[in-house]
Amino acid sequence: MKTPREILLARHRAAAPQLDAIRHAVVNDLSRPTQAGAWPANLAAACLRLLTVPWRELVLPARRVWTALAAVWVLLFVINFSQHNPVSSVTGQPARPQPVMMSWQAQQRWLNELLTDRAAPPDADRPRNSGPGPRTENGEISFV
Amino acid sequence: MPEVSAPEQLPVAQARAGDPAAWNALFRRYQLPIYVFAFELLRDEQAGRDVVQETFLAAVRHLASLREDDKFGSWLFAIAHQKCRQHARKPAEVLFDEVPESPDALDDGPDELLIRREQEAAFMSQLAQLPPSHRAVLLLHFLEDFSLADIARVTETPLGTVKSRLHYAKKALCKLLEADNENTA
Repeated sequence: MKTPREILLARHRAAAPQLDAIRHAVVNDLSRPTQAGAWPANLAAACLRLLTVPWRELVLPARRVWTALAAVWVLLFVINFSQHNPVSSVTGQPARPQPVMMSWQAQQRWLNELLTDRAAPPDADRPRNSGPGPRTENGEISFV
Repeated sequence: MPEVSAPEQLPVAQARAGDPAAWNALFRRYQLPIYVFAFELLRDEQAGRDVVQETFLAAVRHLASLREDDKFGSWLFAIAHQKCRQHARKPAEVLFDEVPESPDALDDGPDELLIRREQEAAFMSQLAQLPPSHRAVLLLHFLEDFSLADIARVTETPLGTVKSRLHYAKKALCKLLEADNENTA
């Protein structure tokens, strides 16, 4: 008569050599960091862990949310890019200026004309250089 | 047969200090039970070996999270159980399947189940037919003789559910063995 534990362990005893190999590998890995000159490998492993841990802990658990966010960002980028494109996406022709743009350009032209007309002002329009004289000469100083 | 070491004999404190020999002793003690547990749950040799390796690596990495050294065994099996869930193709179905519990009939079954040599194959076959959630509870009970509270902790299920599953699984096994006895008589 055998106990269930005895039966179970006996059934799988053939796997012992492979399990020994796994154990030795893990224990060897454990003792490796203490060896001299292993610090670059440790540093690399630590850096890799720094990258993989946030990925595993932050990104992977909510990968659907991140995917949705990424899709929204891409969509926003596309919309933003298409608004700045001067070439019409339908006709391939340069896009027509918007009415606001046209009125702004008309105002700019009108302002330029005004400025060129006044580029050489007549002498009468020139401001006089004669400023007010010294205050003491303007009149009598009265003391109350 | 390898005896189940008393928890206080395990060199957990030395392992905490990073002693490779202590880790070697701990792993040697648990490698086969964990493999049996994983294999019987996943029914896959490669997956069983993978679970053993991943469990050992995780144990080395997270030993600081173990608060009571005498709970090392159940802690290690809890890691193994998590790894098994990760390895299961459909975890929600394979390891968390819900079989109707029978909380109304929780009389204790036989504590020490003894199986005759000619019944061994039938025992293994019946074990394989149990739902994985029940099989996990039964394996933890058989392999390490964990308390119900420890099994509940390892499998992350309520204590009442563990009681019910253990009862159901033992009852099913006993029924099979009795039937087998009658057939042979």
